[in-house]
Amino acid sequence: MALTLPPEFSTPLSWPDQPGNGLRTSQGITRVLRIMLALALALWFLLPLVPLVLWAFADRWSFPAVLPQAWGWEGARAALAQGAIPAFGHSLLLGLLVSAIATPLGVLAARALAYHRVLFAPAVNVMLFAPLALPAFVAALGLNVLLLRLHVPPFAGVVLLLTVYALPYTSYVMRVAYGAHDLAVEEEARLLGASPWQVMWRVQLPLLAPALARAAFLAFLVGWSDYVITVLVGGGTIVTVPLLVAGAAAGTGNDATVALLSAAALLPPLVLLLGVGLLGRRPSGKPTAKSMNGNLP
Amino acid sequence: MIPGVSVEGLSKSFPGTRTPVLDNVNLTVEAGTCTALLGPSGAGKSTLLRAISGLETPDVGRVLVGGQDMAEVLPERRGMAMVQQRPLLFPHLNVLDNIAFAGTVRGVPKKAARADAAAFLELVQLEGFGRRPVTALSGGQAQRVAIARALAARPAVLLLDEPFSALDPELRAAMHELLAQLRRSVNPTVLLVTHDRSEAAAVAEKIALFSGGRMLQHDSVERMYSRPATLETSRLMGGANEIPGIVRDGYHHSVLGVLQLPGDTRQPPGPGVLLVRQESIEVGARNGIGILATVTGLRTLGPRRQISLDVAGALMLAEVPWGRALAPGDAVALSIPTSVLAVVAAPETARTFPDVGEEPQITGQGRNALASIEN
Repeated sequence: MALTLPPEFSTPLSWPDQPGNGLRTSQGITRVLRIMLALALALWFLLPLVPLVLWAFADRWSFPAVLPQAWGWEGARAALAQGAIPAFGHSLLLGLLVSAIATPLGVLAARALAYHRVLFAPAVNVMLFAPLALPAFVAALGLNVLLLRLHVPPFAGVVLLLTVYALPYTSYVMRVAYGAHDLAVEEEARLLGASPWQVMWRVQLPLLAPALARAAFLAFLVGWSDYVITVLVGGGTIVTVPLLVAGAAAGTGNDATVALLSAAALLPPLVLLLGVGLLGRRPSGKPTAKSMNGNLP
Repeated sequence: MIPGVSVEGLSKSFPGTRTPVLDNVNLTVEAGTCTALLGPSGAGKSTLLRAISGLETPDVGRVLVGGQDMAEVLPERRGMAMVQQRPLLFPHLNVLDNIAFAGTVRGVPKKAARADAAAFLELVQLEGFGRRPVTALSGGQAQRVAIARALAARPAVLLLDEPFSALDPELRAAMHELLAQLRRSVNPTVLLVTHDRSEAAAVAEKIALFSGGRMLQHDSVERMYSRPATLETSRLMGGANEIPGIVRDGYHHSVLGVLQLPGDTRQPPGPGVLLVRQESIEVGARNGIGILATVTGLRTLGPRRQISLDVAGALMLAEVPWGRALAPGDAVALSIPTSVLAVVAAPETARTFPDVGEEPQITGQGRNALASIEN
């Protein structure tokens, strides 16, 4: 039988990031200020990198010269000679391990706090945040003795302590994500025939992926950039990039090496950040020009 | 083979609440029919639907589908699908993949599941929307996708939890028609939760009325209006006129006079409250035959008017179409067909809900008239 439902094509559809959406357009002085602020922020982030990059390839650069007097690979050669490659390997391994352990733990803690009746939930929340309040120096000095007595290998000790320091970030990010997550959508999936595992893989995980990526990135940064715990608990056996940079910076005449290592240390987090940014976009929840135009009759 | 749904002695309480959300509910919905679970907010309708679907475990009682006890059956294996007030579409999937979800989780190859989904998309009149993200749908479109997604799961039992209450009246009417059409082509057993009497009447064959966790009455739509079993049912179904009196030999004696009761009246002789739907009263000129009354007030109800009447001391309401000029003070004659009369037990024995005064409205004059009948 014939049935006419309102097709509703007259409703204009646009997303905040689409051209023409009135919510995000600024006009007049606001627009000028917005652009100027963006440029100032870009400058703020990029300016410190300019001398860093110049120094990295300067074999000789003495005052009062504005630019290096001699360009070359001396800094790179020195960095390699001091063990830059193993140090990068250690840092990467530390970052990935901390991320791999702290992210699932954060997920479990957040899920428990969001969905289950946790005894003394406020106290648990404070405990999860406590590492942020406790200086790493204090924790490392205090626990180092314990770890030594328990014969915990230095590398395992470092990973263990850094994981504790990453937990506030991962649990917080996931807590916020679970707070916004709608369990009714999961129930709907169950009734449509999905088993609990299928609900997890096909509904929960894709919906929480952006938050998971953010949490994992923050945990990686904790492992990647740590100095104090690696030095104190690692006892000098684990040389990571921050340790190498600090060591080189403490000496004289190593400006090129320090600059090169510091600049290079920015790359892995930057690559990950871009990855997180891409993952942060919901898989096909976002409209594309093709999906919008391709189906309009 | 479409199964029916039965609920036996189902009770459910939530921690922290004093009264049970569902209190010994018994309900049978025949295969392929649609029953509306009607009642005010907090009556337990949605909880009952969730208990039937398996999302909520009853404290006591059983849910049977096709005669089989569902206690040990997981929600995903009950052959049910639910559409709720919010569409609850999966935001990470496009329209077509949302509808194909039930197929893909059952192991149907993606291509086949999508082809199947496209057919259901057509059924809800959204051809060509398949590749759209669900964020690009209007409320009505999203709800239609949700219905298509539920139907694509081939449910034997379709559970609808106020699925149209967020839509505008025009779209809601279109969705009611769509549901009727889908029932003709797919024919699942449908349970529809609603707090809207007219929606229940428009969509379902039967109404199960709920209040305070109890099921008050389960009957055909027509009988729910014309033969309420209790005063509470009558009030929840919107009935306005309650005339106390005495039942004697198939007649009701009250200030309205002696009115013959329909043959199916079960009320035993003795005190009984006569119920007359306000829509069933015909208001005519005084010179006509009928019960004499005086107009005491007028209220506009869109296409109709509500007239307050004083009938020998009893206060009554009648709904009449526009046309006749009426003003307060006018003397009129009421004509009430025998078939629309119903009698229920007097308020002291009927279970009434607390917000409403138990005594039917009656003036001093009416009370005196009533006293003379009782003596």
